[in-house]
Amino acid sequence: MNADRTLPGDWHHGKIPENVKIHDSAYIQTTYSFQLFRSEQPDAIEVGEAASIYLGVMFDMGRDARLSIGSYALLNGARIICDSEITIGDYALISWNVVLMDSYRVSMNAAQRREELRTMPLRSSSLAGLARPIRIGNNVWIGFDSCVLPGVTVGEGSVIGARSVVAEDVPPFTVVAGNPARPIRKLEPYCSSQHA
Amino acid sequence: MTDPTRQTEGWTHGPLPANVRIGAQTRITADYAFKRFLSRQPEALVLGSRCTMDGVHFAVGEQGKIEIGDYCYFTNAVLLCELQLRFGNYVVIGWNATIADTDFHPINPAERIADAIACSPAGKGRQRPQIARKPVIIEDDVWIGPNATILKGVRIGAGAVIEPGSLITRDVPAGARMLGNPAQIIGTSV
Repeated sequence: MNADRTLPGDWHHGKIPENVKIHDSAYIQTTYSFQLFRSEQPDAIEVGEAASIYLGVMFDMGRDARLSIGSYALLNGARIICDSEITIGDYALISWNVVLMDSYRVSMNAAQRREELRTMPLRSSSLAGLARPIRIGNNVWIGFDSCVLPGVTVGEGSVIGARSVVAEDVPPFTVVAGNPARPIRKLEPYCSSQHA
Repeated sequence: MTDPTRQTEGWTHGPLPANVRIGAQTRITADYAFKRFLSRQPEALVLGSRCTMDGVHFAVGEQGKIEIGDYCYFTNAVLLCELQLRFGNYVVIGWNATIADTDFHPINPAERIADAIACSPAGKGRQRPQIARKPVIIEDDVWIGPNATILKGVRIGAGAVIEPGSLITRDVPAGARMLGNPAQIIGTSV
């Protein structure tokens, strides 16, 4: 990041918002990713050591949203729809067109939704209390086109197959796939010899 | 632009197509919104009032017609229309959800070869074979999540909720909550 919060070689003429904290060794490809960023939280996004955020990632974050991205995490074109809190662990790999959403943005009650739609400004945040935080553990790999729904926790070391829709929590070291996603098999947790 | 019905936010490639009619206080963003809008129908897109079309793709073929009611909010929806898409009032559609009223190409292998030739640079003026098309109807108060896909001939009943990533190939009863590929009823919307 340059001193004026622009990015070297950026095709989009934007800046990294002041309330986004990025580790010196992390990489962000374009400020276009902040086109829909409107969080007013003090440290709305924290990007860890050597994390990378490539073209196509969109931080669609409402007023109260917070996002933390772990060290060595790699995001390649994810749509992050966040109104409360999303945590992405260290070494996580998030593929293209993945949707991580902690909120449905409008009420799921049709009558109430009508009221909201009558007065909804462009790109508003969801109403307080509607959003449920998402946690993506360390070393999780999410395949392309997958969706992770509000309130879901994905345990450490797990793999989400491409085009899955994750509506329920995923235990650690588990492969899940399908729409809705179901467990397929277990993975071996780290051996002390491999991870000394 | 002086005519208020011609005015949209972020529409940077001149006025709206002449066969587009939009209601009061409706917003359309994104300069690509009408990049693939080829309809020759007199009222090809009729949009109600107080709608938000934020980054929506209106990919409409020569015979396509889209009708959208009032108070709808679409975010980056992809509308692929060769015949007819009809949306009621208070419909919400999320990012990258795709709605198509056509198969795009014939299913029959021999016809598909004819179609490939007609679509090729060598196929100038050659008639494409008949391609299956059926209108899609989305009733009032339907909510469609990001990455969902709605295929041709489907009617989604009032108040139904289509969870993110779902694939809908059959009619959805009013008030149902749908999830999966193929989508199943997982409950009712409150």
